[in-house]
Amino acid sequence: MRAFWAIYKRELFTFFVTPLAWVLVVVFLVVQGMHFYLLVDHFSRPVDLSGDETPLSAFFGNTVLMYLVLFVLVPPMTMRLFAEERRSGTIEMLMTAPVSAASVVLSKYAAVLTTYVAMWAPTGLYLVILHRTGGLDAGAAASSYLGVLLVGAGYLSIGLCASALVRSQFLALVWTALVLLGLFILGVGEFVTREGTTMHALCAHVSVWAHMNDFASGVVDSRRLVFYGTLVALPLYVSTRAVEAWRWG
Amino acid sequence: MISVSHLTRRYGAQVAVDDVSFEVGKGEVVGFLGPNGAGKSTTLRILAGFLGPTAGTVKIAGHDVVDDSFEARRAVGYMPETAPLYGEMRVVDFLRFRAELKRVPRGQRAAWVDDAMDKAGVLDVAHRRIAHLSKGYRQRVGLADAIVARPPIVILDEPTAGLDPNQIRAARALVRDLGRDHTVVLSTHILSEVEACATRVLLIHKGKLVAEGATETIRAMGATTSVDLLVRGEAGPATKALQAVEGVTGVSPMAGAAEGTRLRATFAEKLSHAERTRVTERCVAALVAAGCGVHEVRPSGGSLEDVFTSLTRDEAGAAS
Repeated sequence: MRAFWAIYKRELFTFFVTPLAWVLVVVFLVVQGMHFYLLVDHFSRPVDLSGDETPLSAFFGNTVLMYLVLFVLVPPMTMRLFAEERRSGTIEMLMTAPVSAASVVLSKYAAVLTTYVAMWAPTGLYLVILHRTGGLDAGAAASSYLGVLLVGAGYLSIGLCASALVRSQFLALVWTALVLLGLFILGVGEFVTREGTTMHALCAHVSVWAHMNDFASGVVDSRRLVFYGTLVALPLYVSTRAVEAWRWG
Repeated sequence: MISVSHLTRRYGAQVAVDDVSFEVGKGEVVGFLGPNGAGKSTTLRILAGFLGPTAGTVKIAGHDVVDDSFEARRAVGYMPETAPLYGEMRVVDFLRFRAELKRVPRGQRAAWVDDAMDKAGVLDVAHRRIAHLSKGYRQRVGLADAIVARPPIVILDEPTAGLDPNQIRAARALVRDLGRDHTVVLSTHILSEVEACATRVLLIHKGKLVAEGATETIRAMGATTSVDLLVRGEAGPATKALQAVEGVTGVSPMAGAAEGTRLRATFAEKLSHAERTRVTERCVAALVAAGCGVHEVRPSGGSLEDVFTSLTRDEAGAAS
């Protein structure tokens, strides 16, 4: 556990001393801020109150902005985790200390997940604003953030895995982006395949779009929990095995 | 402390380390010597637990590096070649991180880090970022890292590579100091380096251990290839006398004599140490018999450099 905390702290420190981190945080918050502003502006007009949409469900669900942001955000956050250490050789110092492959993988993952949560934290202000100016469904807000956490956790796990599997940061970035894009496109397949086919069921099952719509309207489906649990655990397991395999490669 | 038996390591089809066996006892300073690409780094990486052996067993302080890797790694402080470090960290923060990683108890961490910085001579840059340090300082931070958790064994891969002569002297002194409290294994392709720091030498070439022994033994093993003599008078009669000696294959004049003549008598190849001594005796006797007073007798060659060239040359000769 001591190794876990040591690496966790160092990873967090490293992330926030690089300019890249602050650029990512700023871009993320600017995009989210504009998104929120547009939604509030939209809902403040009395004409167009259709259906059961709320600013909250529109912010988290039914929007491409969320994935676009994650798509741009996650690959550069995870690309350096292992690839950079292998390039600079510091991995040799790290792995010759008495640490297990699992604790290295988990501590790096925990650090990048913490960063991700920290990036979303300022958006909590939007909830305060919504609460002050109108109604806020606390349950839906909680499930929305759960969705954001799960999707991010899954994406970051995939990114970490890519960084452990390839030697170059750039390739890790490209692979992560490709896999995330592939997942998203597979999800979009939900709208183009015929209902009742296996393909449709598969697409619907992995559709981040549909997942976030559910979460944003306060629905927490156990199938989603299992799906994202797998999306987190599987790449982490593969990464651990990859780190162990370096000794023999 | 370290016991290696029949260690083999392959990278694909390429054999980097080929059936190497050796032991390192407590308190020894052992120099791993060989040209670049001989398999030194690979061997050290296996000892440090970064790479696994393809075949054979390696025990560090009684712990197998495969089955009991965790405990084996705890017993070792390792400095990789070129000492890769996290450039964005300050020296003291980096060493505290390393101490925590190596399970130095919280209460002792600050003191042990200070102690390691003091020993490695990096106290004056403790609060500088590692990326801003010179190569010499970075190497020393790597050394501080190797000793920060006070491991019984310290493994240093090319500890003086890329340093200037002053820094090399300082680094060697440091290694000698380390030898007092730790078992030290270091690698180098510079022969004078092991002569300066190590008590025992392992010569490795193309993945195989070609020779092993105390630094003096290795030097004696080999390699006096000639004897330099300073004689009174002219070169002519002395040269003639030496050429007649059994076991001498050539005599050549040398520069640098203020008075008299300096000559080098080259020995026949592949003589044993005892035979070479006898040839030297005969040379002196022949000179005296010829009426040339002998001022100075100095065996030449005999550095590890010569040992190495002769050993590897023999092997190349045997192969062809």
